[in-house]
Amino acid sequence: MPEKMLVEDHIKKNKRDTLLICMLMIFLLFGLIFAIGYALGAPPIITAPIAIIVALAYIMITYSFSVQSVISAAGARPANPQIQTEKMLIYKVEEMAIAAGLPTPKAYVQDSKDINAFATGRKPEEAIICATTGALQQLNKEELEGVIGHEMSHIRNRDILVMTVTVGVVGAIALIAEIALRMLFFGGGSRGGDKKGGGGIIVVIIAIIFIVLAPIFSRLTYLAISRKREYLADADGAYLTRNPEGLAMALEKIKGDLPDDPKGSKTVAPLYIANPYKRALSDSIWSTHPPLDERIRRLRSM
Amino acid sequence: MDIIWIILIIALVVIFGIVLWILSYFNRIIKFENRIDNSWAQIDVQLKRRADLIPNLMETVKGYMKHERETLESVTKARAGIMNAKTPQDSINADNMLTGALKTLFAVAESYPDLKANQNFLNLQDELTHTEDKIAYSRQHYNDSVLAYNNAIEVIPGRWVAGMMGKKEKQMLQIPEASREVPKVAF
Repeated sequence: MPEKMLVEDHIKKNKRDTLLICMLMIFLLFGLIFAIGYALGAPPIITAPIAIIVALAYIMITYSFSVQSVISAAGARPANPQIQTEKMLIYKVEEMAIAAGLPTPKAYVQDSKDINAFATGRKPEEAIICATTGALQQLNKEELEGVIGHEMSHIRNRDILVMTVTVGVVGAIALIAEIALRMLFFGGGSRGGDKKGGGGIIVVIIAIIFIVLAPIFSRLTYLAISRKREYLADADGAYLTRNPEGLAMALEKIKGDLPDDPKGSKTVAPLYIANPYKRALSDSIWSTHPPLDERIRRLRSM
Repeated sequence: MDIIWIILIIALVVIFGIVLWILSYFNRIIKFENRIDNSWAQIDVQLKRRADLIPNLMETVKGYMKHERETLESVTKARAGIMNAKTPQDSINADNMLTGALKTLFAVAESYPDLKANQNFLNLQDELTHTEDKIAYSRQHYNDSVLAYNNAIEVIPGRWVAGMMGKKEKQMLQIPEASREVPKVAF
């Protein structure tokens, strides 16, 4: 079946890209450590452990808060099987879990007119899939199935974990860079100059530029990972349902539906199937999600 | 003397690496095989669930559809086929028969307004359609698992390891062309 191979190729390419971007992220963190070493005269043997401890602490904190905080920020409640539309959600979650060979996640509902859905949970055993009431009312069976398949793929690919770790690294890079810059201006600024001659100053300036730019680049890297994972979940979801058109039609509906009264914190925005805050139709390096038109085009080319 | 030792140590490390490598393939093949068994168990659970729903449905429908004996009988017969199936392919074939029989029954039910107003009937109809979808997806997952397994034992060096273990390719479940269309039951 040539179509199926295509979906698998999409999946492979996306995984490779994510790996590359993650390596870039680690490079940024270590580059920062060395840059601080040059700028402040502190050797990497001191800065490296500090940076790694800060990064790990950041990851642990974001990791331990994820499920409950996401659910309460969204104001979500468990789906009620007595209501026909919510029963359909429970059914679709069960079906997609079977197709993915995963334990069945809990189905949740968020009261919102907006068409949207998200998945959370650190591992598949404690995962949750939440859909908005708007999605349940406006999407037909096939479209809902596409959306749930997309969310199930986020769970299967452990995207929640990937995104939590990247958020942790981004936060750590920002914090370390901030501290380094403060130390540079209020204390150790002269130290680097004392030690080295004319060539040394250039290195120090390059290091400082790197310290200033690292947080921006790490943020951009994080957004790039977020977009890659979105494409990957689209392709994987299409493979689960064997029906890319279902998700494509759902995304068409989301495109036509303007965001309305978003709830919850902005940090969970990348978890949703489409950004609940703004529907950027153009490609931008600052968006958490790829443009809907491009996602629809890719799904239809599978 | 020293050189001999170095060569010996390198040789040992290389052999150890190769053994680990083969073991990882061995484990992978076992893991994939277990996954196939698991996904079969999943299909079986759904088939049984579906078969269990049928007596309830018959009980509900009986009072309304007195003149549709043939339709009712074909459903009962297909259900018995699932209960008596010996091989996976037999179960799947019987399930396809049941799907066809239920399709007819639900189509006939359209001309019984009283039945269509019966909440119990509507719930059963929902549930049966849902189980049908679940069976289709568990079948798909079974075939995905078989594909992953077959790929693992066909590509070298997995092929050599599989040869040593005496593992053979497994068959995917054949799904008759007609049943691939999920029956459209109006809600």
